[in-house]
Amino acid sequence: MEISNNNIPEFKVIANGPLHVKGKITLINTNGEKQELEETWLCRCGNSKNKPFCDGSHKTAGF
Amino acid sequence: MDNFSKITDDSQNREYSNDEITVFWKPGKCVHATTCYKELIEVFNPRRRPWVNMYGAPTERIIEIVNKCPTEALTYKWNDEAKNKETINLKNERLKKGEGQNVTSQQAKPVTIQVMRDGPLVVQGDFEVFDEKGNKLKHMIMTSFCRCGASNSQPFCDGYHRKIGFNSEK
Repeated sequence: MEISNNNIPEFKVIANGPLHVKGKITLINTNGEKQELEETWLCRCGNSKNKPFCDGSHKTAGF
Repeated sequence: MDNFSKITDDSQNREYSNDEITVFWKPGKCVHATTCYKELIEVFNPRRRPWVNMYGAPTERIIEIVNKCPTEALTYKWNDEAKNKETINLKNERLKKGEGQNVTSQQAKPVTIQVMRDGPLVVQGDFEVFDEKGNKLKHMIMTSFCRCGASNSQPFCDGYHRKIGFNSEK
Protein backbone atom coordinates (compact mmCIF):
# COMPACT_ATOMS: atom_id res chain seq x y z
CA MET A 1 0.00 0.00 0.00
CA GLU A 2 1.13 3.49 -0.87
CA ILE A 3 2.11 5.52 2.15
CA SER A 4 2.04 9.28 1.75
CA ASN A 5 4.63 11.48 3.40
CA ASN A 6 2.23 14.11 4.68
CA ASN A 7 -0.77 14.37 6.96
CA ILE A 8 -3.49 14.76 4.36
CA PRO A 9 -6.44 12.58 5.40
CA GLU A 10 -6.94 9.41 3.39
CA PHE A 11 -10.27 7.87 2.41
CA LYS A 12 -9.90 4.18 1.67
CA VAL A 13 -12.70 2.20 0.14
CA ILE A 14 -12.93 -1.26 1.67
CA ALA A 15 -14.35 -3.87 -0.74
CA ASN A 16 -17.95 -4.75 0.24
CA GLY A 17 -17.36 -2.79 3.42
CA PRO A 18 -17.03 0.68 4.93
CA LEU A 19 -15.03 3.79 4.14
CA HIS A 20 -11.83 3.81 6.18
CA VAL A 21 -10.86 7.38 7.04
CA LYS A 22 -7.36 7.93 8.32
CA GLY A 23 -6.07 11.35 9.38
CA LYS A 24 -7.43 14.30 11.27
CA ILE A 25 -10.99 15.17 10.24
CA THR A 26 -14.04 16.93 11.66
CA LEU A 27 -17.24 14.93 11.39
CA ILE A 28 -20.45 16.97 11.40
CA ASN A 29 -23.48 14.87 12.25
CA THR A 30 -27.02 15.29 10.90
CA ASN A 31 -27.92 17.35 13.98
CA GLY A 32 -24.91 19.64 13.48
CA GLU A 33 -22.78 18.16 16.28
CA LYS A 34 -19.06 18.22 15.57
CA GLN A 35 -16.58 15.50 16.42
CA GLU A 36 -12.81 15.54 15.89
CA LEU A 37 -11.55 12.13 14.80
CA GLU A 38 -8.16 10.70 13.79
CA GLU A 39 -9.41 7.42 12.37
CA THR A 40 -12.86 6.07 11.68
CA TRP A 41 -14.87 3.61 9.59
CA LEU A 42 -18.01 5.04 7.97
CA CYS A 43 -20.95 2.94 6.77
CA ARG A 44 -21.31 2.65 2.98
CA CYS A 45 -24.00 -0.05 2.82
CA GLY A 46 -26.84 1.78 4.56
CA ASN A 47 -27.49 -1.02 7.06
CA SER A 48 -25.46 0.02 10.09
CA LYS A 49 -27.42 0.50 13.31
CA ASN A 50 -24.77 2.97 14.41
CA LYS A 51 -24.77 5.41 11.48
CA PRO A 52 -22.75 7.13 10.23
CA PHE A 53 -20.29 4.56 11.61
CA CYS A 54 -19.83 0.99 10.40
CA ASP A 55 -21.05 -1.73 12.78
CA GLY A 56 -20.26 -4.70 10.55
CA SER A 57 -23.86 -5.03 9.26
CA HIS A 58 -22.60 -5.08 5.64
CA LYS A 59 -21.62 -8.71 6.19
CA THR A 60 -25.14 -9.87 7.09
CA ALA A 61 -26.68 -7.54 4.48
CA GLY A 62 -24.48 -9.07 1.75
CA PHE A 63 -23.28 -5.65 0.51
CA MET B 1 -16.91 3.64 -18.38
CA ASP B 2 -15.41 3.77 -14.90
CA ASN B 3 -16.68 6.06 -12.18
CA PHE B 4 -13.99 8.66 -12.69
CA SER B 5 -14.78 8.94 -16.42
CA LYS B 6 -18.47 9.43 -15.62
CA ILE B 7 -17.55 12.53 -13.67
CA THR B 8 -16.32 14.17 -16.87
CA ASP B 9 -19.21 13.00 -19.10
CA ASP B 10 -20.78 16.19 -20.53
CA SER B 11 -23.73 14.76 -22.45
CA GLN B 12 -26.15 15.30 -19.55
CA ASN B 13 -25.37 19.00 -19.17
CA ARG B 14 -28.33 21.39 -19.36
CA GLU B 15 -29.00 25.14 -19.51
CA TYR B 16 -31.94 27.00 -18.01
CA SER B 17 -32.69 30.67 -18.68
CA ASN B 18 -34.94 33.46 -17.53
CA ASP B 19 -34.95 36.97 -18.96
CA GLU B 20 -31.73 37.92 -17.14
CA ILE B 21 -29.48 34.91 -16.56
CA THR B 22 -28.73 31.38 -17.74
CA VAL B 23 -27.99 28.67 -15.19
CA PHE B 24 -25.71 25.85 -16.33
CA TRP B 25 -26.28 22.40 -14.84
CA LYS B 26 -23.47 19.84 -14.99
CA PRO B 27 -24.75 16.71 -13.21
CA GLY B 28 -21.34 15.05 -13.52
CA LYS B 29 -19.94 17.70 -11.17
CA CYS B 30 -22.72 17.40 -8.60
CA VAL B 31 -21.69 16.05 -5.20
CA HIS B 32 -25.24 16.08 -3.85
CA ALA B 33 -24.57 18.57 -1.11
CA THR B 34 -28.34 19.31 -1.45
CA THR B 35 -27.83 23.04 -0.81
CA CYS B 36 -29.80 24.11 -3.90
CA TYR B 37 -33.06 22.32 -3.22
CA LYS B 38 -32.92 22.66 0.55
CA GLU B 39 -32.61 26.44 0.25
CA LEU B 40 -34.66 27.13 -2.88
CA ILE B 41 -37.09 24.33 -3.72
CA GLU B 42 -39.20 26.81 -5.74
CA VAL B 43 -36.41 26.85 -8.34
CA PHE B 44 -34.42 23.63 -7.77
CA ASN B 45 -36.78 20.70 -7.38
CA PRO B 46 -35.23 17.31 -8.18
CA ARG B 47 -38.66 15.65 -8.32
CA ARG B 48 -39.86 17.89 -11.13
CA ARG B 49 -39.02 17.80 -14.86
CA PRO B 50 -37.38 20.03 -15.84
CA TRP B 51 -35.94 20.19 -12.35
CA VAL B 52 -34.99 23.89 -12.60
CA ASN B 53 -37.76 26.50 -12.75
CA MET B 54 -36.09 29.81 -13.57
CA TYR B 55 -39.27 31.76 -12.77
CA GLY B 56 -39.63 30.33 -9.26
CA ALA B 57 -37.65 33.11 -7.55
CA PRO B 58 -36.03 36.49 -8.30
CA THR B 59 -32.77 36.36 -10.26
CA GLU B 60 -30.74 37.70 -7.31
CA ARG B 61 -31.94 34.83 -5.12
CA ILE B 62 -31.13 32.24 -7.82
CA ILE B 63 -27.60 33.67 -8.13
CA GLU B 64 -27.18 33.52 -4.35
CA ILE B 65 -28.02 29.80 -4.29
CA VAL B 66 -25.95 28.99 -7.41
CA ASN B 67 -22.99 30.62 -5.64
CA LYS B 68 -23.59 28.37 -2.63
CA CYS B 69 -23.33 25.20 -4.73
CA PRO B 70 -19.93 23.85 -3.63
CA THR B 71 -18.89 22.65 -7.09
CA GLU B 72 -19.32 23.83 -10.69
CA ALA B 73 -22.43 21.64 -11.00
CA LEU B 74 -24.41 24.89 -10.93
CA THR B 75 -22.98 28.04 -12.50
CA TYR B 76 -24.59 31.04 -14.17
CA LYS B 77 -24.01 33.80 -16.67
CA TRP B 78 -25.85 37.03 -17.36
CA ASN B 79 -27.60 36.91 -20.71
CA ASP B 80 -26.28 40.42 -21.31
CA GLU B 81 -22.57 39.83 -22.07
CA ALA B 82 -21.64 43.35 -20.93
CA LYS B 83 -22.94 42.56 -17.47
CA ASN B 84 -20.67 39.49 -17.20
CA LYS B 85 -17.67 41.76 -17.69
CA GLU B 86 -18.66 44.38 -15.16
CA THR B 87 -19.62 42.02 -12.33
CA ILE B 88 -17.14 39.81 -10.55
CA ASN B 89 -18.35 36.21 -10.57
CA LEU B 90 -17.25 35.08 -7.12
CA LYS B 91 -17.97 31.48 -7.86
CA ASN B 92 -15.83 31.29 -11.00
CA GLU B 93 -12.95 32.86 -9.08
CA ARG B 94 -13.26 30.22 -6.38
CA LEU B 95 -13.52 27.34 -8.84
CA LYS B 96 -10.40 28.40 -10.71
CA LYS B 97 -8.38 27.09 -7.77
CA GLY B 98 -9.46 23.61 -8.86
CA GLU B 99 -8.28 20.24 -7.63
CA GLY B 100 -5.81 17.55 -8.58
CA GLN B 101 -2.70 19.49 -7.64
CA ASN B 102 -0.16 18.24 -5.14
CA VAL B 103 -0.63 19.82 -1.76
CA THR B 104 1.72 19.69 1.19
CA SER B 105 0.41 19.35 4.71
CA GLN B 106 1.27 23.01 5.37
CA GLN B 107 -1.10 24.22 2.66
CA ALA B 108 -3.72 21.52 3.08
CA LYS B 109 -7.18 22.67 4.06
CA PRO B 110 -8.60 20.79 7.06
CA VAL B 111 -11.11 18.12 6.17
CA THR B 112 -14.73 18.14 7.28
CA ILE B 113 -17.16 15.31 6.67
CA GLN B 114 -20.75 16.43 6.79
CA VAL B 115 -23.25 13.63 7.30
CA MET B 116 -26.38 14.48 5.27
CA ARG B 117 -29.71 13.23 6.64
CA ASP B 118 -31.01 10.49 4.30
CA GLY B 119 -28.11 11.36 2.01
CA PRO B 120 -24.37 11.05 1.48
CA LEU B 121 -21.19 12.06 3.30
CA VAL B 122 -20.15 15.44 1.92
CA VAL B 123 -16.38 15.84 2.27
CA GLN B 124 -14.52 19.15 1.90
CA GLY B 125 -10.87 20.06 2.40
CA ASP B 126 -7.72 18.44 1.06
CA PHE B 127 -7.87 14.66 1.03
CA GLU B 128 -6.87 11.59 -0.93
CA VAL B 129 -9.07 8.74 -2.11
CA PHE B 130 -7.88 5.14 -2.42
CA ASP B 131 -9.68 2.25 -4.12
CA GLU B 132 -10.35 -1.25 -2.76
CA LYS B 133 -6.88 -2.41 -3.80
CA GLY B 134 -5.14 0.42 -1.98
CA ASN B 135 -4.31 2.34 -5.16
CA LYS B 136 -4.43 6.09 -4.78
CA LEU B 137 -7.16 7.35 -7.09
CA LYS B 138 -6.78 11.06 -6.65
CA HIS B 139 -6.41 14.12 -4.53
CA MET B 140 -9.75 15.86 -4.06
CA ILE B 141 -11.10 19.01 -2.45
CA MET B 142 -14.80 18.20 -2.53
CA THR B 143 -16.87 15.10 -3.08
CA SER B 144 -19.66 13.06 -1.60
CA PHE B 145 -19.51 9.40 -0.71
CA CYS B 146 -22.53 7.11 -0.95
CA ARG B 147 -23.83 5.84 2.38
CA CYS B 148 -27.09 4.20 1.24
CA GLY B 149 -25.34 1.42 -0.67
CA ALA B 150 -27.39 2.00 -3.86
CA SER B 151 -25.22 4.39 -5.89
CA ASN B 152 -24.17 3.23 -9.34
CA SER B 153 -21.06 5.39 -9.09
CA GLN B 154 -19.53 3.77 -5.98
CA PRO B 155 -17.92 4.92 -3.83
CA PHE B 156 -19.45 8.27 -4.79
CA CYS B 157 -23.02 9.48 -4.43
CA ASP B 158 -25.12 9.67 -7.59
CA GLY B 159 -28.34 10.84 -5.94
CA TYR B 160 -29.87 7.35 -5.93
CA HIS B 161 -30.67 7.56 -2.18
CA ARG B 162 -33.78 9.57 -3.12
CA LYS B 163 -35.03 6.81 -5.44
CA ILE B 164 -34.66 4.07 -2.82
CA GLY B 165 -36.07 6.27 -0.04
CA PHE B 166 -32.96 5.91 2.11
CA ASN B 167 -33.75 6.62 5.75
CA SER B 168 -30.54 7.29 7.67
CA GLU B 169 -32.29 7.81 10.99
CA LYS B 170 -33.52 4.22 11.35
